[in-house]
Amino acid sequence: MAGAAEFVEADNAIMAEIETKSQKIESLLKHYKHIEALKTALEGSPLKTNDERCKSANWTVVHRVIMTIKDIDGMLNALDAEYYDTLMKYLYKGLSTGDEPTCEQCLEIHEKLTERAGLGCILRCLTDTTNTV
Amino acid sequence: MAVVDVHRFSESITCHAWSPDYSMVALCPNNNEVHIYKSSQDQWERLHVLQKHDQIVSGIDWSSKSNKIVTVSHDRNSYVWSLEGGEWVPTLVILRLNRAALCVQWSPNENKFAVGSGAKTVCICYYEQENNWWVSKLIRKRHESSVTSVAWHPNNILLATTSTDGKCRVFSTFIKGVDTKDSKAGSPAETKFGEQIIQLDLSYSWAFGVKWSPSGNTLAYVGHSSMIYFVDDVGPSPLAQSVAFRDLPLRDVLFISEKMVIGVGYDSNPMVFAADDTGIWSFIRYIGEKKAESSGSSYSSQFSEAFGKFYGSQSKSATANDASESRGGVHDNCINFIVSLSKAGSPKVMRFSTSGLDGKIAIWDLENMQEELGHQF
Repeated sequence: MAGAAEFVEADNAIMAEIETKSQKIESLLKHYKHIEALKTALEGSPLKTNDERCKSANWTVVHRVIMTIKDIDGMLNALDAEYYDTLMKYLYKGLSTGDEPTCEQCLEIHEKLTERAGLGCILRCLTDTTNTV
Repeated sequence: MAVVDVHRFSESITCHAWSPDYSMVALCPNNNEVHIYKSSQDQWERLHVLQKHDQIVSGIDWSSKSNKIVTVSHDRNSYVWSLEGGEWVPTLVILRLNRAALCVQWSPNENKFAVGSGAKTVCICYYEQENNWWVSKLIRKRHESSVTSVAWHPNNILLATTSTDGKCRVFSTFIKGVDTKDSKAGSPAETKFGEQIIQLDLSYSWAFGVKWSPSGNTLAYVGHSSMIYFVDDVGPSPLAQSVAFRDLPLRDVLFISEKMVIGVGYDSNPMVFAADDTGIWSFIRYIGEKKAESSGSSYSSQFSEAFGKFYGSQSKSATANDASESRGGVHDNCINFIVSLSKAGSPKVMRFSTSGLDGKIAIWDLENMQEELGHQF
């Protein structure tokens, strides 16, 4: 039986990763490399852990990038299809915050992403209760 | 198009099965009866109504060699019907279930049938000659939730099941006295009844519609998260693939050849999946149209309205109405059953039928589509 200690270690490792990621993303955003920033933010999302800290830390990072995106089509063009599901999950998380600018932005991206990825993408967010953001 | 015949039998159809010569179809019109229709000169004539169950009949299967119909129902019972003097006579099979029976299938040799139930068990029923009745043996272990679908491997011993716990499992249903006579060199050496051979944890959501390929080498099943799973070389080291696709989830699948699968579900339009030469499975097309373009015209007018409200000012009125009319709607509602119309055990399926919640049964013929489908067919 994996002890609680092991989980905490793994989670701490994830937190550290998110820290580094966040710094990398800040610099990418400064250089207007939004697409790179989003890719970095979505990569290595803590889907498997149950730890709330990791999830909210990653959400903060992803949120930061989502809010800076102006060219949605271009961004989706450059994003690999494997990240569509993860991005959709974060969009729903954003919509659930109820915060107006976040919701507006998330809704805009949602529209374009659904066109691209189809209803199946939304289904996968709704039915997947083990890999959550 | 590949559709040969469409007929609306009732408001809604739960399940259906064909007679050995494919001239008659037995279906459940979403109530506790089974209706048998015969097709004659473009008309469908209702010949028999089988009334024995108290609740909805959730599964029907018609054996092709012994001409027996097995029905299972939410009333926890199962009947095996035999044709005697022009009438269908039922024989009760005591399944010993305390929850609804959900699906049923005759084994390839038709000496057994498997029933999946909401009681997290699978019943394997076989005929005991001495006592002249059907006995049910239960596989009680392993399933953590309702068993939604069962499928027999061509060797008459292995059974694959899918469940709402998201897992697909393969069990041995070896029964002494029933299977021993048939033991060939190839069959799994005397594995115990109810022994789980393999458990596949590919899906995070409910699993439905499992089927074996004609050779028994590959397994396919669907998950409610718009995914379809393919497992090659089922055994100690299987090769599993998960294919995510664009649209609404599937409910049932059918292998039309070793490397091609048709999936049906909530999109009301059958989808074709195929494995390329390296063995990688992917979505090819909808059966009725050319490789569909993305977005826009894919959504029915209902969706466009809903999207319009959702997205508010950025309305999508442009994409709205050319919508589902153009999608070649044979079925108007979810298709939940697909049955092969080719002889069992044949390597290629040329014809199949689908039934759905719209009460229609559609017959599809792939004779003219061989070129379009490609060499995997």
